[in-house]
Amino acid sequence: MSEAVLSVRNLRTYFMYKDAEVHAVDGVDLDVRAGEIVCLVGESGCGKSMTSLSIMRLVPQPAGRIVSGKILLDGVDLLRLSEDEMTDVRGNQISMIFQEPMTALNPVLTVGDQITEVLLRHRRMRKREAWQRAVEMLEFVGVARAAQIVHEYPHQLSGGMRQRVMIAMAMVCEPKLLIADEPTTALDVTIQAQVLDLMRKMRDDFGTALILITHDLGVVAEMADRVVVMYAGQVVESTDADTLFEEPSHPYTRGLLRSIPSLSDDTETLYSIPGTVPDAAAFPEGCRFADRCPLAQPECLATAPVLREVRPGHWVRCHFADKGSVSV
Amino acid sequence: MAGYVVRRLFGMIPMLFAITVFVFFMMHMAPGNAIEAMINPRIKDIAALKHQLEVQNGLNLPLPVQYWRWLVNVLHGNFGWSFGQHEPVIELLGPAMYNTLILAVLAEAFILLLGIPIGIWQARRPYSKLDYTVSTVSFVLFSVPFFVFAVFLIYFFAIRWPVFPAQNATGTGPLAGTLLDHVWHALLPAISIALTAHTVYSRYTRGAMLDVARQDYVRTARAKGIREPVIYRKHVFRNARIPLVTQLGFDLGGLLGGAVITEGLFSYQGMGYVTITAVSQRDYPVIMATTLIFAVCVLLGNLVADILNAVVDPRIRYQ
Repeated sequence: MSEAVLSVRNLRTYFMYKDAEVHAVDGVDLDVRAGEIVCLVGESGCGKSMTSLSIMRLVPQPAGRIVSGKILLDGVDLLRLSEDEMTDVRGNQISMIFQEPMTALNPVLTVGDQITEVLLRHRRMRKREAWQRAVEMLEFVGVARAAQIVHEYPHQLSGGMRQRVMIAMAMVCEPKLLIADEPTTALDVTIQAQVLDLMRKMRDDFGTALILITHDLGVVAEMADRVVVMYAGQVVESTDADTLFEEPSHPYTRGLLRSIPSLSDDTETLYSIPGTVPDAAAFPEGCRFADRCPLAQPECLATAPVLREVRPGHWVRCHFADKGSVSV
Repeated sequence: MAGYVVRRLFGMIPMLFAITVFVFFMMHMAPGNAIEAMINPRIKDIAALKHQLEVQNGLNLPLPVQYWRWLVNVLHGNFGWSFGQHEPVIELLGPAMYNTLILAVLAEAFILLLGIPIGIWQARRPYSKLDYTVSTVSFVLFSVPFFVFAVFLIYFFAIRWPVFPAQNATGTGPLAGTLLDHVWHALLPAISIALTAHTVYSRYTRGAMLDVARQDYVRTARAKGIREPVIYRKHVFRNARIPLVTQLGFDLGGLLGGAVITEGLFSYQGMGYVTITAVSQRDYPVIMATTLIFAVCVLLGNLVADILNAVVDPRIRYQ
């Protein structure tokens, strides 16, 4: 883990409301090595998007606050930077692309303006040079007629094209880390595969590490080097992709894997994990998954499990993770 | 775009026709007429004189005939004679339109220069004490009847400390009639209009800026490392100004028709002042002319609003 580009330690991001304190991210540890693709998995509201926004220090203000933890980018703690220093990091060393390409681009600025803006902000570059570079970058991400497209507005492009523009914009300064928050959810299936391919190409050509947030385990199987499973604001399992699919150790992970529809299966109804995610304003004392867990014991309700390394490189937050695999 | 504008201009014709018909008949339904307003009630044999004057001016003819005569004349560029001022309507309205144009441009400039920066400033610190304070002041300014400011301005800056002229649209002396002289006379009325009207823009601007600031693309801009002042100036304001530009078009149309009460208070000889005088004298040709001009201004203002919209929003294109 020494060559980690990004190390998140014990990150806590809370939302303070008048009558409640919501623990959206509650002690998350995360390591991403150079050139690695880490998938962040979990159902809606588990804190995966807030974790990524915390890394960017773009948690919605004023309710949201990063309460504690460290976010080390190449050893520099981002949480200790001033807001001004942080703007030098964003778009330059860490970039982010979002789920909705339809709304993520500014409707009144040309594509070229929005790409060159990043270069002019972070690189000493003349305007002409920056526009040239924007066209090259668009060609690189597979936009046909790039020299024309730079002068067009987002509404003139299709969803897939816009997501390519987003990727070009995010990658134009060749960041060390790219965070993609469900980048393919809003796209057609055929376009999804193209965009995933493109992101893998980015990793291969620029050596950029990638945090891919998704709830699609198909995407995980195709893309991930390592997988981090989140539940109720915490990491519950973290391991390499092969191990996750072959030997899932947390009951929640197993539940997720069982919920994938299978072509060979004859069952009529799809498996779903019973119950719902606990309220982030009032987490239980013990294990947060206990009331949905088929294996729960009295111990689970009493004490919260910690994230333990059950095998080298395989971390699980469960009291029974290494006590023989009990089938769900 | 040019084709669109031409089509819109032609589209105005039936609208203007309907407006003039309506005004013409409404005006004649009001009690009294131009002749009664003109002649001294103590003159002997008043009925005969009245009849003679009515025949002279064609006022005894049926209304549709009178309207038809007016319409034909207007289409020949003849707006008729003013009963009240005894001069061609055109010569009466020419200077009035010029005065109102100066007042309108000046007032709109003050409105925008005050309203938009205040709105942006508030949107940068929403829901703070300063924001609430400014909002409260805005509501107070908006609620005070606007002629109150005119009275105060006249009292303080024209009478107590006579810096500005208290009345008329032009003065005397070497500068009389120059643009500078006109602007000088329009300054107080323009300020008194802007003191109230700018609050509409500061409220609109604040609301539009806050709306846009919540959009995904603003988060994208932040994720690119763009600094906050640039985010607000470029990414937020360029979207927030779209609804403002629409409002601007409507406003200009209204202001060019003349600020009736303000012009009255400052005895500023603009369109509003001329209209009020004409109405009190039943000066039909003048009323018809000012109405027509006002209608044209409002319709042109709407057209300008639509054109400006296309200028600031690339998603809007007219074929």
